[in-house]
Amino acid sequence: MILKDQVAIVTGGSRGIGRAIVTGLAREGARVAFVYRGSEEAAKAVEADIVGRGGIVRAYQGDVADPATAPRIVEAVLAEWGRVDILVNNAGLIRDGLFVRMEPEDWHTVMATNLTGVFHFCKAVAQQMVFKQRSGRIVNISSVAADHHNVGQVNYSASKGAINSLTRALAVELGARGVTVNAVAPGFIETDMTEAVRNKAGDLIKKAIPLKRLGQPEDIAAVVVFLCGPSAGYITGQVITVDGGLSLGAVIG
Amino acid sequence: MSHDEIFEKVKALMVDALSVDEDQVTRQARLQADLGAESIDFLDIVFRLEREFGIKIDRNELFPESIFQGDPEFVKDGKVTEKGLAELKAKMPFADLSAFEANPKFDQISDLFTVDLIVRYVASKLNS
Repeated sequence: MILKDQVAIVTGGSRGIGRAIVTGLAREGARVAFVYRGSEEAAKAVEADIVGRGGIVRAYQGDVADPATAPRIVEAVLAEWGRVDILVNNAGLIRDGLFVRMEPEDWHTVMATNLTGVFHFCKAVAQQMVFKQRSGRIVNISSVAADHHNVGQVNYSASKGAINSLTRALAVELGARGVTVNAVAPGFIETDMTEAVRNKAGDLIKKAIPLKRLGQPEDIAAVVVFLCGPSAGYITGQVITVDGGLSLGAVIG
Repeated sequence: MSHDEIFEKVKALMVDALSVDEDQVTRQARLQADLGAESIDFLDIVFRLEREFGIKIDRNELFPESIFQGDPEFVKDGKVTEKGLAELKAKMPFADLSAFEANPKFDQISDLFTVDLIVRYVASKLNS
């Protein structure tokens, strides 16, 4: 177990990629606090699953877009476990639609959760990691959509591009104090969030992926676990694409 | 609290904040040039001083950020302007600026920040 007794916080942990990350970190021995917004039933299932495997986990309800959420949860984690070694900013959502019909609310909702939520949680752990521990790992979940664009995702692409910039800029600032900051950019992963697009164009997308399959949440979790582990101590400010080769832009055929 | 007592506490706090040896932390040691402090270390020192001495240090008080960052209002052609010097004096009444005033080169401003300056700053805060 490469993360024995470490303390991790994962946002958006009850479903999809987040759930696989929570499970992956717990399997490596980390104590994991995860944040969920609405899926209480799913959150309870994740807790039960991990406890059933002998892991240590806590679920916290909260909206990452609310500035009060991150400090509240980080304080609770510090009160119980005394430290925060790992932060994984995974919570994200889509409000897809053609730009000409995109409402300001579609823009703000996506930015508030996908980007500002990352800011809030990084802020909430920074003093602890930088000044008290002088160590820490932050991993932000980005997307290949930051650089390879789909119709109807101006807001989502912008939020993910900004996450990549935030990741690099924060890595520069926190590096001297032993904190690494990286991002993982998933391609097309089989989750609830991609269900609609899969229904519409799943076969076509599969053909465009050199590895000829959609990604599984565990494909992303494996890289996150690696970035949080001892082997990744010299990696910072990087955006690691995990997409089966989708972003290589191969011609379908 | 005497200056010597304050110095002993400041020394211990510098050793922790900057990961330096105790004997490096002399009264004359410059935070940046001698002890290797970077911008984030200055912030760390501020937090540690607040905790250790139970004082509140405003953002522009001990290390006046606007001058440090080369604000054109206070810095011109590599030198701190008259206005900048007045600002420094106002923000740092505890500092001895006489030598710096004679040749106020911006790139030497960080040399003003010595361990002794911190000691005198804390003393002035505790007495106020």
